[in-house]
Amino acid sequence: MKTKVLVMAAVFAGLASIDGPVLAHHGAAAYDMSKPVVLKNAVVTEFIWINPHPLIKADFKDEQGNVQHWTMEMGSTVSAQLIGWTRTTVAPGDIVTLYVWQAKTRVPVGRFNKVEFSDGTTMRDTQTGADDGGRADTGVRQ
Amino acid sequence: MRHPYTGAIAGVAGVLVLAALAAAQGDPPRSPWKYYPMDRAVGDGGPAPKRDLSGTWAGPSSGAGAPRSKAEEQPSLTPLGKQLYDRNKPIGKFSPGGTNDPHTRYCDPFGVPQNMVQEIRGMTIATLPNRTFVLLQYMDLWREVWTDGRTLPTNVGGRGRDTLDPKYNGYSVGRWEDDYTFVVDTTGLAPQTWATKSGYPHSVEAKVQERFHRTSKHDLSLTITMDDPKFYTRPFSIGETHFRWIPNQQLDDFTCIPSEVQQYLKEMGDPAGSDPDAARRPN
Repeated sequence: MKTKVLVMAAVFAGLASIDGPVLAHHGAAAYDMSKPVVLKNAVVTEFIWINPHPLIKADFKDEQGNVQHWTMEMGSTVSAQLIGWTRTTVAPGDIVTLYVWQAKTRVPVGRFNKVEFSDGTTMRDTQTGADDGGRADTGVRQ
Repeated sequence: MRHPYTGAIAGVAGVLVLAALAAAQGDPPRSPWKYYPMDRAVGDGGPAPKRDLSGTWAGPSSGAGAPRSKAEEQPSLTPLGKQLYDRNKPIGKFSPGGTNDPHTRYCDPFGVPQNMVQEIRGMTIATLPNRTFVLLQYMDLWREVWTDGRTLPTNVGGRGRDTLDPKYNGYSVGRWEDDYTFVVDTTGLAPQTWATKSGYPHSVEAKVQERFHRTSKHDLSLTITMDDPKFYTRPFSIGETHFRWIPNQQLDDFTCIPSEVQQYLKEMGDPAGSDPDAARRPN
């Protein structure tokens, strides 16, 4: 967790130079980037570390008690590694709060924004991890 | 007399020393097998060596602080070029679920010139007496650039026993324009690939020129132009990319894996679908 904090501190040191929201290279046009959906106390079911984009799968219980099965994509593995992600950063069974830019089709899939862990630490996506949907990896990019 | 700020200065100095010690203790040991993006080349490293690009370079998105790239210019299409361009649905507009980009859907090779622009993170250049190899991190691919004085082929894709087949990376020759500028000319490109991520097409007869210009030991730039009269009314820029020298010369693995792409599309890309308004927006 200490490493995560240090990495994120370094990343946000670069946020001053951020140039506003940009589309992910793999295309964020399918997602509603106006406001992320918040999945509080979601249970991670899988973290699939694949190219072109790792997938986080999680179950979220809504106010009616119905369980929604969500899938969300991140930036590429090599980009995510640059800001501290590994294939074990999240793991099945983790209870977390996930922020997701949901698909415009309103199915439970989306572009990952950030994850808040139970110890209060946060990890963000590279390309859409800023709170406004812009990049969160400018500390390691030019 | 004791300076009134002595205590504060000593306190700040102490904090800095402790922070440095903590940081040093927190650094894991460096492996020669791993790429460390924050171990960046410092400064320009001095003058560029003459007629030498050899080594491993970090491009955009490598975390090495390479200067920002310059995007392709919007070209002027012929009627035939526009007809082909309009068939292509680029990912930036249509998303993975709606694109027909052959690389996004099937990991098909980018081919030249797109593979010198898209996902161009790490690159190694190696030189033999008669050839220069360009080895790209993404897709683990290599290109062969002949420097033995031969000219480009003129019989690619035609009929007859002496013709050559088009290739994803085409046929390339290279020459030194001056001591710091290596110019690569390529033709004979496989026509099923897209010249750019935005879906601009190219023909077999397209001529691509890449200019590698080393401005210092640590800095390399690449500018690319394409001339394809069949599809475009004039030559146009495919873009400009900058690279920085990697101190430990190591790159990480990064490739498109068809089975993983199929899983990604099945579980994520296709369910997400395409932007409902995509077709009404210009590419």
